[in-house]
Amino acid sequence: MVPFTPLPDQTEPPPDSHWRAMQQTEVLRFVRSLLRAYDVFGAQNKRGRIVLDALQDAADLLLEFPPAVHSPKKFLFPNWDQLFRFKLDENILLQPETAAPPRIIFGMHPCDLHAVKILDDCLFEGETDSSYQAKREATLLIGVDCTPDEYCFCTSLGTDRIAAGFDLFLHRRDDLYLIQTGSERGLQLLKNHAPETFAGAEESPLPLQVKQCSNRVKFPIESLPSLMEEAYEDDIWQELGHNCLGCGSCTLLCPSCYCFNVQDKLEINLQEGQRIRTWDSCQFDQFAKVADGENFRSSQADRQRHRFYRKYKYLWDKHQRTACVGCGRCSRECLAQIEPVEVLNRLFAASPQPAISNQPGSEYQPQMARVLEVRILSEQDRLFRLQLPQTLDFTPGCFVELSVFGLGEAPFSIASAPDGGKQIEIVVRKAGALTQALHRTREGDSIGIRGPFGSGYPLANMVGKDLLLIAGGRGLLAIRSLLLAALQQRQQFGRITLLCGGRNIESLMFPQDLLDWHQSGLLDCRIAVKDKHNHWGIPAVDVSYLFRDLELNPQRTIAAVSGPPEMYRQINPLLFRMGLDGEDIYLNLERHMKCGLGKCGKCQINNICVCQCGPIFSYNSIKHLGEAIER
Amino acid sequence: MSQRIKLDYLTRIEGHAHLVIERKAGKVTGCRLEVVETPRFFEALLQGRHYSDVATIVARVCGVCSISHTLASLMATEAALKIEVPPAAQLLRRLLSYGEIVQSHLLQLYFMAVPDYLGAASLFQLLDAQPELVRRALRLKRVGNRICEVIGGRPIHPVTTCLGGFSTKPEVGQLKQLRQELVASLPDLEATVELFAEFEYPQFSRQREAISLQANGRYPLHGSILTSSSGESCSVADYRTQIEEYLLPHSTAKLARSRSGSYMVGAQARVRNGAGHLSPMAKKVAEALQLEQSGNNPFENLKARLVEVIHCIEESLHVIDELLLHGMPRINSNSTPVVGGSGTAAVEAPRGLLFHRYEYAADGLLQQADCVIPTAQNLASIEADIQLLLPQLLDQPEELLRQQLEMLIRAYDPCLSCSTHLVKLDLA
Amino acid sequence: MKVKIGLFDFAGCEGCQLTVMNLEEELLQVLQLVEIVEFRELMSERAEQIEIAFVEGSICRPGDRERLQQIRDRSQILVALGSCADNGGVNALGSDRTPEVLRQQVYGSQLPHLYTETPQPLSAVVKVDYRIPGCPIDGREFLAVLQALLLKQQPELPSFAVCVECKLAEYPCSFDYGQVCLGPITRAGCRAICIDGGGHCRGCRGLIDNPRTSPYHRILEQYGLSIDEILDQYRTFNIGEQESGK
Repeated sequence: MVPFTPLPDQTEPPPDSHWRAMQQTEVLRFVRSLLRAYDVFGAQNKRGRIVLDALQDAADLLLEFPPAVHSPKKFLFPNWDQLFRFKLDENILLQPETAAPPRIIFGMHPCDLHAVKILDDCLFEGETDSSYQAKREATLLIGVDCTPDEYCFCTSLGTDRIAAGFDLFLHRRDDLYLIQTGSERGLQLLKNHAPETFAGAEESPLPLQVKQCSNRVKFPIESLPSLMEEAYEDDIWQELGHNCLGCGSCTLLCPSCYCFNVQDKLEINLQEGQRIRTWDSCQFDQFAKVADGENFRSSQADRQRHRFYRKYKYLWDKHQRTACVGCGRCSRECLAQIEPVEVLNRLFAASPQPAISNQPGSEYQPQMARVLEVRILSEQDRLFRLQLPQTLDFTPGCFVELSVFGLGEAPFSIASAPDGGKQIEIVVRKAGALTQALHRTREGDSIGIRGPFGSGYPLANMVGKDLLLIAGGRGLLAIRSLLLAALQQRQQFGRITLLCGGRNIESLMFPQDLLDWHQSGLLDCRIAVKDKHNHWGIPAVDVSYLFRDLELNPQRTIAAVSGPPEMYRQINPLLFRMGLDGEDIYLNLERHMKCGLGKCGKCQINNICVCQCGPIFSYNSIKHLGEAIER
Repeated sequence: MSQRIKLDYLTRIEGHAHLVIERKAGKVTGCRLEVVETPRFFEALLQGRHYSDVATIVARVCGVCSISHTLASLMATEAALKIEVPPAAQLLRRLLSYGEIVQSHLLQLYFMAVPDYLGAASLFQLLDAQPELVRRALRLKRVGNRICEVIGGRPIHPVTTCLGGFSTKPEVGQLKQLRQELVASLPDLEATVELFAEFEYPQFSRQREAISLQANGRYPLHGSILTSSSGESCSVADYRTQIEEYLLPHSTAKLARSRSGSYMVGAQARVRNGAGHLSPMAKKVAEALQLEQSGNNPFENLKARLVEVIHCIEESLHVIDELLLHGMPRINSNSTPVVGGSGTAAVEAPRGLLFHRYEYAADGLLQQADCVIPTAQNLASIEADIQLLLPQLLDQPEELLRQQLEMLIRAYDPCLSCSTHLVKLDLA
Repeated sequence: MKVKIGLFDFAGCEGCQLTVMNLEEELLQVLQLVEIVEFRELMSERAEQIEIAFVEGSICRPGDRERLQQIRDRSQILVALGSCADNGGVNALGSDRTPEVLRQQVYGSQLPHLYTETPQPLSAVVKVDYRIPGCPIDGREFLAVLQALLLKQQPELPSFAVCVECKLAEYPCSFDYGQVCLGPITRAGCRAICIDGGGHCRGCRGLIDNPRTSPYHRILEQYGLSIDEILDQYRTFNIGEQESGK
């Protein structure tokens, strides 16, 4: 048997994953073959409910279904689990039973696989729980994608997708399945039980499927620990305690709740017995009763609070993940309709929020902006249209700090033009935890915002001039704001030229906008990409190539350059060669801006704070700064 | 000199009864089976209850025949409310009844009767001497219970039955498993037949009328026509024209009689009226046991019961096959109850005919209930038999007298827990 | 030395005793440890001294009181078997009427000397040491209580509600079918057998120690059910404890 290792903490798919296409009929043959060699457990329809149970007939197996009543916990960490057997009279401990028959759970949803990680966290930490380990070792996990229902909220927790932690995973692709191997055991399983599939061609990996859940936590989940920090004395727990029946369904059905009780069960002969483990629930009266009869969690309000803290705070502090995977089982079955999403959103709505300041940016506390629209620009870029509490006065090139409680804040250029309204557009590129959290926010959610900060392009000084805008990569964000502002009053400006470069079409931030501008006739929009296999069919050139037949009048031209540092080193000399003055060349200096108030010192270039004086500088104003690499 | 013999607390019967015998100058002057089971007034308890609750409550009349009470109650309400029952549900109900008859008969045969014939005070006493016999008894009883469990959810007070059929149906796997268990019980049944073929049954004969449901193409079980060995028949709905309950002048019991007087119901009555419809295996067993079909010797009730056990097991196999073959497309009614009105139903409970009759008001609440239980109908026969048997026994020591009389009473398997209104108190 | 046990019955259906009989295989094993010294339904023997008496049924007549007292006097431990013994059970359904009225309704005026009292649980007459609730009892719970007593332990009943067993077994919720269900406030131990059978819980095992009545009422309202409907169900087996359900 392949040695067993607990699930790694992975977010990237294992590089050695294999991908094979599998027809529906092959899946059926595969399951039949597995049934001959293993106990197979899978989702089936029983009495109008979807339950995971021992599979008798491959045809009964469901592959696309919302969460089953119970999670696979019932096989990996069963409610009745024998720890060992004993003989009463002789005080003999019989060999503990750890061996479990080889078996397969066919139909692990991503959230279920995440829940297994949580069980692993607890049960493998410190002293390994051998009974659980035996079952984990003997059980192969085959994942399938989920069909979320109205109770699912995995997308709020990022548990709607999983990159590792399974032996095989069946991804739906059109009318067939792409089967992904996640372990050597999974590969062997495929080889032995689906030889045709195994022998098939290697398919290209499928990006992880994004689910759609209407039920959502309306704020980034990373804010939870700090939110919970403040919520301990909240009245909501009294309310939950008042409504709760104390039936414990929420914890019993939870895929990651593992609190248990240990008791001895004797045979009828009263000579032998077994020590067994059964599920317990923190919602039960006697759960927190101590030997002298005292109950240290005596009210149902205390118990509900404990449950929420277990799920969203305590285990986060320990393992940096919620002990909730958003499967919705607890709310699906709760007669009292206690629903975590609603509770969390209410806690968030009631959490202390700064009074609206007349001088935005004068303090550290963010205001809450509502997400009006989320537009997926590309796999890594999302545009958020935010509704602010009040109008935002800024110039193109300014930035705001977006914040997620628990993860801090980060600066983002405003990509829209100042229009005197309360809406702005921000583009977030997925990189670290904060941006990932922001990517999970949806329409209707709230996120923290501070700003605007900094100095942008002096639009008023540009009136009546020709504009030469040069953007590379993310630099287009500030340029877009400037361009949109100029287009709002097109007649105030002379020629407008936009030169935009990128590695390939995919890396361009606003491909659609670029095409629109190109065709609008309002400006001269030229695009260069280095990738010669681009589907726009444009020559593979550098952005500097676009200067070759550029005609401009250096006296009436103002240039704005915005892009990665190396771009300035390439473009600035060209502009000087064309006769532009250093005063008419504006650069966008990206630095790590933290406080936005010119205090923290993180964005400082020599003696200048970028967050206050920048990020838009005229070339002349920074040419003496040794640290300004963009010179 | 007048003498009064009182046999307190008859044992190995369902429910409580005393037997009182009065004699004067060597002659029996009185004989009463005093039923001291506490009256529980079930018919009154049902008044004002909604039709959906009636069967659940009335099942509690008797734990031994709770299935019969449940089915009779459901059928009476279905008749009153004009609820149809789909064919698959009717099959399941038959199977459930078979299960109850098997377990009830085997309980009576092994636990109540066998000790008499093997000279023991109880079956448990035989545990050391004849462990295999006790084990077999428990194994067989289990088979009956298993049928009730698979179809009814549990052996006592079924949970799957409802108006219009069933609220849940057995899984195919469960039915297949049950079938295997039934087939596996055949050797035990064979051994049981051998055991009962060896017993010596007391000779006794008294002419009597036998009333049962009519064998309507099938051995009596559920049906709508009553038939008598006297040749008369009537609709179940008119049972009051055929059967009347009455009070004895010297006693306080409500008993039942037909137009011709005392009559018997139960296994013997069914065999007498429907022997031709017994299953092939049951017919063979009847022959092997030399079961006399007149039903005039109440001790032969034991044989009749065993024959019925065989019949029910064999029929159960057929019903299971039919269920497996045709599936259970629908097990519950899809008709809307027509609330208000009255309905009557009768089923052949293990001990004989059981009638339930209800009247419902337009709000669905029960106004009037009448339940006639098998033992109430047999009580007069029991007393008549005792009166005839007693003179032969009077010279024997009381212990022997008691034993003989108890054997006779047990042969009827009276079920006194069914005390809907079977009450007779002697507070003198 | 085997422990002497006895089974006794008063007004009831004998279904609880029959449940003990239905243990079949287990019963044989139990008989290795205990001796049934009295069980009228199945035995002719009587006993003087009994270590554990299991008593089914309710007390309805003066004669019952005496007989129960006698059983108590010769038993070390007395266990109430089933709802009738535990709280009056279905027998008490007529408690809203006097026994005279009930008698009239069933027998007319012809049995003037037939005397009964309102059915009462055993505890109204004698000290009851332990109880096994349910209508009928659950055979496995009987075994567990017997085991505990044989080991000189305190038998314990589940303190949680039927809902727990129902969820563990993944049965559909009765409320979803518009049925009144007493599962949320009724003591578990029956493995939610009625819900398994497609029905709803009528509370035959009585209330849990700490029934959450106010959330329960809220849920009933939510499902458009009235307190009367639920009390009607609750009264079926618990009329003796009706007040506490309000």
